[in-house]
Amino acid sequence: MLRRAALLAILVLAACRPEGPRQGITVVMESSPDSLDDRLALTANGQRLAQLIAPGLITFNDESEVVPALAESFQQLDERTVEFTLRPGLTFHDGTKLTSASVVATFEGLLSGEVKSPKADKFEPIEKVEAVDARTLRFHLKRAYAPILAELSISIVPESRARMPGARAQDRTPIGAGPFRFVSQPDDEHVELAPFDGYYGGKPDISALHVRVVRDETTRVLELLKGRADLVVNATSPAVIPMLEKDPHLKVLSKPGTGYAYLAFNTRSGPTADARVRQAVCHALGVEAIVDFKFHGLATPATGMLPKNHWAYQPTPGCTRDLERTARLLDEAGYPARGKEPRLTLTLRTSTDRFRRSIGLVFKQELAKAGIDVEVRSLEFGTLMNDMRHGNFELAALKWSAVIEPDLLRQVFSSQFAPTKENAFGGLNRGAYKNPEVDRLLADAALSTREERKALYAKAQELIDNDMPYVPLWHESTVAVTSDRLRGFSPSAHGFFTSLAQAHEVRP
Amino acid sequence: MMRRLGSAALALVGALLLVSLFLELVPGDPIEVMLGEQAATVDREAMRRAVGLDKPWYEQTWVFTQQLATGELRTSLPPFQRKVVPQLSAALPNTLILAGASMLVAILIALPLGVAAAARKGTGVDHAAMGVAVAGVALPRFWLGPMLIILFAIKLDWLPVSGAESFRHLILPAVTLGTALAAFLSRITRASMLETMREEFVIVAKAKGLSPQVVLWKHAFRNALLPIVTVLGLEFGALLGGAIVTEKVFAWPGMGTLLLTAIEKRDYNTVRATVLVFTLCYVVVNTLTDVTYALVDPRVRKR
Repeated sequence: MLRRAALLAILVLAACRPEGPRQGITVVMESSPDSLDDRLALTANGQRLAQLIAPGLITFNDESEVVPALAESFQQLDERTVEFTLRPGLTFHDGTKLTSASVVATFEGLLSGEVKSPKADKFEPIEKVEAVDARTLRFHLKRAYAPILAELSISIVPESRARMPGARAQDRTPIGAGPFRFVSQPDDEHVELAPFDGYYGGKPDISALHVRVVRDETTRVLELLKGRADLVVNATSPAVIPMLEKDPHLKVLSKPGTGYAYLAFNTRSGPTADARVRQAVCHALGVEAIVDFKFHGLATPATGMLPKNHWAYQPTPGCTRDLERTARLLDEAGYPARGKEPRLTLTLRTSTDRFRRSIGLVFKQELAKAGIDVEVRSLEFGTLMNDMRHGNFELAALKWSAVIEPDLLRQVFSSQFAPTKENAFGGLNRGAYKNPEVDRLLADAALSTREERKALYAKAQELIDNDMPYVPLWHESTVAVTSDRLRGFSPSAHGFFTSLAQAHEVRP
Repeated sequence: MMRRLGSAALALVGALLLVSLFLELVPGDPIEVMLGEQAATVDREAMRRAVGLDKPWYEQTWVFTQQLATGELRTSLPPFQRKVVPQLSAALPNTLILAGASMLVAILIALPLGVAAAARKGTGVDHAAMGVAVAGVALPRFWLGPMLIILFAIKLDWLPVSGAESFRHLILPAVTLGTALAAFLSRITRASMLETMREEFVIVAKAKGLSPQVVLWKHAFRNALLPIVTVLGLEFGALLGGAIVTEKVFAWPGMGTLLLTAIEKRDYNTVRATVLVFTLCYVVVNTLTDVTYALVDPRVRKR
């Protein structure tokens, strides 16, 4: 018995040895991609990989401006026509040519409803896509609709993948014209990609791309420390960053991001229906201190939904800590100081995530100093969203993951998008904020040219800042941790992996 | 035997009904996960009908059972529904390997520890062994796992951090999962050994002048095995439960990972199927435990 145990122990010890060198770059993610087909993917990881394999006509720069990808250039011919010119000599991974016909086929598959895409309704304003010649095509719109340009980032697929039944294969064995081609997906936790010789930007200098899912954050950090992970994007919490920075083999890169954290008010009824109470909460919070303390510089205080480098950003006063002003506003709103008793009590809903909950408690502490008593309720995400949609909240801490197209302002702050009792899915204006002037400005902006839009959004942002339906909190940065085996990766504001096409694998 | 099969079937049906009922009660809408929050109500309802989520939960469960029986079961999330059975058959062996290896780890640690503690009752050896056992039970796996990784994978650089590519990847998760069982099992072994050593046949064996080693292993240990085997069988279920946490820490692609992903996506079919397989494992192992009694102890065979 003992002898056998000893034998086994020796066997186990024999298996213990340092690991040998390896080839390629390993990307570690926190959850598996839901689909590798951009038309179906709703998760950030699915979309990032799908775009790396199959880019669209356009993409976004860090200022959230539309920039060419497969397209070489584009121009608005009139308010209902956009013309694209494709780059010369585009090729798909299967060797077929990418021409205007491929683009037309891709969009026809989506517009006809043959490919059941959750994104299909975004293309509703498109009347028809016309191939002028092999490299030129025109999008004809049913009506003037400026935000359409931002929707055209969807993957372009070969004609065989544009319609059923061929479209089915794009989910598990995608083909595109991107820098990396699909090799295999042995299970939900792994995807293998290889550099594509025919990529228009030149074959990437990475011998292979191994994508791995590691769900546990501690384990992701340990894989980085062990040197078995070369790239982790937005999947490490701010608290572990200082430790990772100390490791000589790792590099922490960050870029101001487009995600937007906010406190939403229910403006339908109760104390938060009064703009003065909303302003009072805003000036009771020391957002800058929270950002410094909780994010170690990996977030930027926000003044509104659009980040400072966004093309449509308008500087507004936002929220700075001013307890005297808070006191004055609460007095005016009819919540006088009552000695040790709180002036008013509010409930704050937040998710169960440990980090989010801890931030909720910081808010509670801050607001207590202004005489506002806050009860923090952390709810499972499904329950939280359900409460939000049914208007069952006073104050809620949430975040928009990527604010790229400013038309999101309209979907969030226009009164026509307020969910009602009859239709809880009526839209994203869950606090039922209503300002007819804002409604008009945002509706006009969706139909205007870029310069007009900028002016309209500027005015709307000022009005929103004054009415304060949201307390703007911060924009969390994109944080990429890379090993010394990966050079030249630059994080994107949107968390894209696209710059892997220009990065280099350091070979021993 | 028939009665045993009957109660096993009952356990399976009960588990299936409970899971389906809980899924019904869980907040969060699979259709929303699928279509995104901004989808139109019409599309939402059409999709709900298409995947059968408009039916009451008991009807959904019935359809699920039929599909599972014919192997036609697919993940409940369109547009491109994948078959569930191949996913299960890929994940199940991984979990069984992990659970089996941790059981082996537990036995290899617990039996020598328990026997040593019993043989030298009240001495330093006993106290040390039982101290280790208490610590083993008390350490949560989500803490022990990362600590073992830091020591063996990073500081000593002997083993990989996570994944499931080779035998070397199995060692740390097996130790993490097996430690609590080892601790518990060593206490049971000690208690059972102490009891057996008071039995008359052990005293007779000692009186015959047999060497203490022979008395300990041949006479006392063999007869002390019965409760140990029982505990092993019963604890297998706990091991499967613990595997969910351990698989997450070590990114081990087993049933736990499959279950967690399915819950995240609100993929009801996969959740139901996974829980059903978990229950099935539990039932099978319990039945096997009963059979093992007969092998270990002739007294049971005769009864």
